[in-house]
Amino acid sequence: MPKKFLLPLFLAVALVFPLLPFANDYVLHVVTLVMVYMVLAMGLNVLPGFCGLLDLGFVGFYGVGAYTAGLLTVHYGVSLWIMVPAAVLNGALWGVVLGAPTLRLSGDYFAIVTFGFAELVVLFLTNEIWLTRGPLGLPGIDPVSVDLSFLNPAWIYEFEGERPYFYLGLAMLALVYVTMRRLEDSRLGRAWLAIREDQLAAASCGVNIYAYKIIAFGISAGVGALAGCFFARWTLFLSPDMFKFWESFLILCMVVLGGLGNIHGAMVGAAILIALGEVLRVVLPQLGLPNEARFLVYGLIMIFIMRFKPKGFFPKIAAAGEANPLIKRLRAQLEQHGGTSR
Amino acid sequence: MTAPAPLLKVDQVYKRFGGLMALTDVSFDIMPGRIQGLIGPNGAGKTTIFNCITGVYKPTQGEILLTPPPASGTTAESIRINGKKPDKVVALGIARTFQNIRLFSSLTVLDNVRIGRHCRTSSNLVGAMLRLGSQRREEATIIDASMKWLKFVGLERHALAPASSLSYGDQRRLEIARALATEPALLLLDEPAAGMNPRETADLDQLIHAILDEGVTVLLIEHDMKLVMKICEQLIVLDHGERIAYGPPAAIKDDPKVVEAYLGRGAAHA
Repeated sequence: MPKKFLLPLFLAVALVFPLLPFANDYVLHVVTLVMVYMVLAMGLNVLPGFCGLLDLGFVGFYGVGAYTAGLLTVHYGVSLWIMVPAAVLNGALWGVVLGAPTLRLSGDYFAIVTFGFAELVVLFLTNEIWLTRGPLGLPGIDPVSVDLSFLNPAWIYEFEGERPYFYLGLAMLALVYVTMRRLEDSRLGRAWLAIREDQLAAASCGVNIYAYKIIAFGISAGVGALAGCFFARWTLFLSPDMFKFWESFLILCMVVLGGLGNIHGAMVGAAILIALGEVLRVVLPQLGLPNEARFLVYGLIMIFIMRFKPKGFFPKIAAAGEANPLIKRLRAQLEQHGGTSR
Repeated sequence: MTAPAPLLKVDQVYKRFGGLMALTDVSFDIMPGRIQGLIGPNGAGKTTIFNCITGVYKPTQGEILLTPPPASGTTAESIRINGKKPDKVVALGIARTFQNIRLFSSLTVLDNVRIGRHCRTSSNLVGAMLRLGSQRREEATIIDASMKWLKFVGLERHALAPASSLSYGDQRRLEIARALATEPALLLLDEPAAGMNPRETADLDQLIHAILDEGVTVLLIEHDMKLVMKICEQLIVLDHGERIAYGPPAAIKDDPKVVEAYLGRGAAHA
């Protein structure tokens, strides 16, 4: 069963990776960035992937999470244990606040409203200077420190360099991954998929469409805010430019590239596009093009996927919950009785 | 004991779409434990009635009352269901299938039926995230119940195949299994035999009787008159949104109004 060893192997490689000789700060930085975007892609995937809702404003929640974490740290020096839940809840709250009135809209109208939300977040961050310092950005965010001094006065560990962030990012990624897998294979996840497939049929099975869409919105926003929270404490500087619409588009591109609704696909999509971004950062200036031209490339990728591989490179096949022991047992039983007559 | 109360009472229902009166003063009773048919020419308002009963549409006027079979020791109570949302109506015990099959086609056959269990299960976000013991036990019961209904319609072998890979007749059966998984007291079938070959139709006839044996009352819309005349105990005939006849098949067959609705204009064109 080679598939069984895939996850432990992946984990082992990830744990050892920062200790390898070629893993310098740059490499670790890029890999950590990939992990942040994997989390973002998994968070966004809940909406267009599971529920079939096109959300163009996802980056707004990323921004809410980042600024929540940044401001709490700068002004109050809040500990990590309080800051993370606060940022996630704030993100989820805005998800619900945005979702409650707009989720009754359908299709394109909904997408436009979410787009507007992301723009509003940027405008707010830019103009509410009393709170966010506006375009000057928010510098001086403390790095992560793990304070266990209530157990032992010596146990205060302040993050330095890229390596501890790599591990923290990995922990965040693992947490979100496990959560997403569990949600996907549950009564809740099936209700989402039913909404994506056919809303009327879903309602006829007893799914409260509106409520489940709001839950999806809250979770998606919360995950976005979690990534933002990590980002703030990692880069130690925030500015409104970081949360422009283009980021939403990039994350959507990752999810579509990997195949809507496929958690693994979203992660692979994130890895590919961030790696590509790094390559383009070197290549574009050599061609005499500005760095922003990379969005042209992302756009082209999106067009080509839609034209030639509309289901992404890893299309989600009808196999949700395949890893669930209950389903495995059922499959074995069915194979045993294979050929039973009607 | 007095005569049983009707399971469903449709009382003077009107439905208007802009200037079009889709249903005018439609009344009928659905008695428990029977197969009843709703027939009429195309555009007569049959599916509109289904949509009013299941909460997809809100009747412009009139009442729809459901009297679910009472739990032991309690008296039957009528619930007004017009204006309730579809997810509430199915929880009260009315399930349906659709005229043009509406499966969750990119999900597995099993998942389609598992989603049908939604209204009878309760695990939530926290349960799913933490994989609580109660959630895992519920998942196991969901699979057991779903497999029971897949066996009932004869699709258990295909449980893990994508729903879209089933033949047309099997897709109709899967839709019925999904509806039965919601544990309805009343099952509304919208043209279940449409597009079926004679063998599949004969199987369907058996299946509908088996559903009745499970204690589920059936109301079906059907154009296959041979099937309708054979299995229905009571027929409601609609034409242009009005009830033109109501009674046992033998009486309906010779009703001049019904003959005119079906054959009158047809004969004129011929």
